Amino acid sequence: MPEAFKAKLAFIGHPIFGLALVVALGIGAEFASGSTVQIWSFVLVNVLIAQSINVLTGVAGQVSLGHAAFLGIGAYASALLARKFGVPVPIGLVCATLLSAASGWLLSFAAGRVREFYLAMMTLGFGMIFYEMIREWTGVTGGVAGLSGVPSPALKTLKFFGHSVGAVGYFQFVLAVTAIVMWQLRNFLTSRYGRAFFAIHASEVAAGSIGVDRVATKREAYTLSAALIGLAGGIYAHLVGYLGPESFGLHRSVEALVMAVVGGLGTLSGPILGAIVFTYLPEKLQFFADWQFMVYGLLLLLSFVMLPKGIAGLLLPRSRYIKPSARKASALKSQGQGPQVSQDLVRLDTTQPLLKVNNVALSFLGLRALDGVSLEIGQGQIVGLVGPNGSGKSTLVNVISGIYRPSEGSVAFDGRSIVGLRDHVVARLGVLRTFQDPRLVKSFTVRENVLLGVHRLYSQGRFAAAFDVPSARREEASMLRKVSEALEVVGLIALADQPVRDLPYGDQRMTELCRVLVAEPRIVLLDEPAAGLSEGELGRLADVIRILKRRGVAVVLIEHHMDFLDDLVDEVVVLESGKLIYRGCMEDMYRNAAVVSAYLGTEGRQEVANA
Amino acid sequence: MDFFLQLVFAGICVGAAYALIAMGLSLTFWTTKTLNFGQGSLLMLGAVALTALMAAGLHVALAVPMALLGTGALMVLVERVAIRPLLGSEESMGWVVSTLGLGFFVQGFVAKFFGSQAISVPSIVFESTSFVSIAGVQVSAQSLSVLVVSTALMLGMEIFLRVSPWGRAVRAVAHDEAAASLAGIPVRRVVVLSFIASGILAGLAGVLLSQINGTVDPAFGFNLMVFGFVAAVFGGMGSVRGAMVGGIALGVIEKLVGGYLSSAFESAIAFAILMVILVWRPQGLFGQAEINKV
Repeated sequence: MPEAFKAKLAFIGHPIFGLALVVALGIGAEFASGSTVQIWSFVLVNVLIAQSINVLTGVAGQVSLGHAAFLGIGAYASALLARKFGVPVPIGLVCATLLSAASGWLLSFAAGRVREFYLAMMTLGFGMIFYEMIREWTGVTGGVAGLSGVPSPALKTLKFFGHSVGAVGYFQFVLAVTAIVMWQLRNFLTSRYGRAFFAIHASEVAAGSIGVDRVATKREAYTLSAALIGLAGGIYAHLVGYLGPESFGLHRSVEALVMAVVGGLGTLSGPILGAIVFTYLPEKLQFFADWQFMVYGLLLLLSFVMLPKGIAGLLLPRSRYIKPSARKASALKSQGQGPQVSQDLVRLDTTQPLLKVNNVALSFLGLRALDGVSLEIGQGQIVGLVGPNGSGKSTLVNVISGIYRPSEGSVAFDGRSIVGLRDHVVARLGVLRTFQDPRLVKSFTVRENVLLGVHRLYSQGRFAAAFDVPSARREEASMLRKVSEALEVVGLIALADQPVRDLPYGDQRMTELCRVLVAEPRIVLLDEPAAGLSEGELGRLADVIRILKRRGVAVVLIEHHMDFLDDLVDEVVVLESGKLIYRGCMEDMYRNAAVVSAYLGTEGRQEVANA
Repeated sequence: MDFFLQLVFAGICVGAAYALIAMGLSLTFWTTKTLNFGQGSLLMLGAVALTALMAAGLHVALAVPMALLGTGALMVLVERVAIRPLLGSEESMGWVVSTLGLGFFVQGFVAKFFGSQAISVPSIVFESTSFVSIAGVQVSAQSLSVLVVSTALMLGMEIFLRVSPWGRAVRAVAHDEAAASLAGIPVRRVVVLSFIASGILAGLAGVLLSQINGTVDPAFGFNLMVFGFVAAVFGGMGSVRGAMVGGIALGVIEKLVGGYLSSAFESAIAFAILMVILVWRPQGLFGQAEINKV
């Protein structure tokens, strides 16, 4: 679809349109026929189901083929609480949501240990265990015969705290609940927490490098996703009044997947569109109902190729992951103030080194990647790390940043040992890094990617983010100002709102550098930052490194461009086969026999000597 | 004691078939690091195709190869439509969803045209009522033939992979696709052939297992695919011996649980084992933990 057409439909994603729609539907239900209200209610249940898959798979990147189990947990919990214990339905729904969330939290311990198709199989197994369980646990679930007589408007047995509730009233209640949940979900997904989900989806290692705890973040995604679908299950139970195991088998998990995938993963509007389409089609088209499962199969088979971003990607402008309100607030306040970063000068504490690497060794399957390397870097110092390919430079950076644990030796940062700390903990101390290949969230803009860098500086909690309270809004705006300033410094401000996917390699590298710059680092480890940069970009890179130095930040620079290092570094360290073979100034390095033979072989050394 | 031995033997027999399914999954895993989440439908399709062909009057000796050819050919489609376009895409798990979708489609197709009820599968070698007595234990001849055929095939595959040039090519592609390509190995052909072989193995496993109960229904293969996966991960994904041990262990556990507790738990126990293995040792009992390269 042309962008102009998409722009015309952009109002669909606007909160005011959403609110107007909710009010219209709420009033309209009073005049609509019973079957219409019933379908509308099913749409709402499906919206929650599709959104649940979206949060887990589309946003956090964790595939689930057993989501019907959480739906079932919510449905049976709410139904049983109401039927057996007479718990008021709204309280039962809260319990159902919490119980499902707790199950999701528990599953995340198992699921967090595996990835990719192992995860797919595990969730499939989880769904099947639940299905077998409700079939066989006849005493509680009614087994294959099912559980009937669940309080519902259709049976005229639904009561909220003693007041009888009809189909329309129940729909209006569900509509309000769904609208509030969607509003909170939107706030949450456009906060630091939601962006952290996207970050672990794109690259868990890169997420760790900016201080995102991947284990906790996955756990959060499972919990939130299970809560959403558990709520859907509870609502469903009181909508239909009867629960049987067949409603919670593989077909339901696949249906959930179809709605989210075809609607459009990773967006908020996509799953809503998907839920509408796949609630109405089987209702309205007999043909579709007859061929439903074959159609679902075909859609799953083809949608990733034919329609990678789903219906939402086809019809709507790309989603953004920063709240427009926060953008506006940050723009207002920054008027009249220029960037201030470059002026910072910090008094240096030179009495002790900032980073002290002592006698570090690490082997992979018998290959000695690092062999007794020692290194010290003080505040505001720039150290070049050079050596032939495979000499252990990146391995050393990985050891310092907590990705690898050394088998021997110690790494101390700011006087405390950081060996054995997980990468996100190291990053939160202010040890930040870039990667040989830029690791960005490709669907994010430059600004959104850079905003990930300040992840560790936020103080707002989950509920403040979900309710978008004023203090959270102010914090978001101030972070955005910080990001704009850094983008200005790096020279990316003109490209700030371009998705990085569309940008050339050099700009992606600079984006990653900028992500480190905004994170208020104390030491920066740059892994071949100059590779693939143009002349102009090299100049800007050198400027940024000098700014960091002036701010008292220590910089470790892995590089092959010797000219680039020449007038930048205070000290150079040369590695070969995991051993440190030279440490000193650049000029002497060119004449050092060990270094020359490492690069050119011993014959080369002769030539240099003869020249 | 007889009951116990009977269960163990039945377990060994179905376990051998699970190993066969695992082998089918491993073949494509070796060459592409993917596996068909719709493999269950192929198992089912093998048995349904055999039934349909024999109902059309074909002789067994012709119907079996044709059914297997069908499942093999379907795997070419799986590779072409569901896997290749999605390898290396941003949505790294796209192929899980697309192969699941294709399997779902096939299942829906069979349900539509053959009905969703169980249909009876003609016996191909033994009647499902014939029994053999081994060491005083009554053993179903069907189960015995499943064991013999599966074991023979596994051995054959193992030898083929170790000795023949094609087998070496498969292992080369498994090790490093780019290097194999540089060494002049026709990687694409090896990949496609591995999918065809995977489909044939799936069809065969389906035919064999359908013989034991004598029926097949559209959902017949789904649990079996998961059981095959359990067998495959038991010894580490891709290990042939691991799959054989894993398949038989699973089969025996399943039958013992079914015999002494309740047949209702037969499947659930397999899924529980799956979860436990994946949590405890995702690399399998004999596999080595992968080094997370950065």
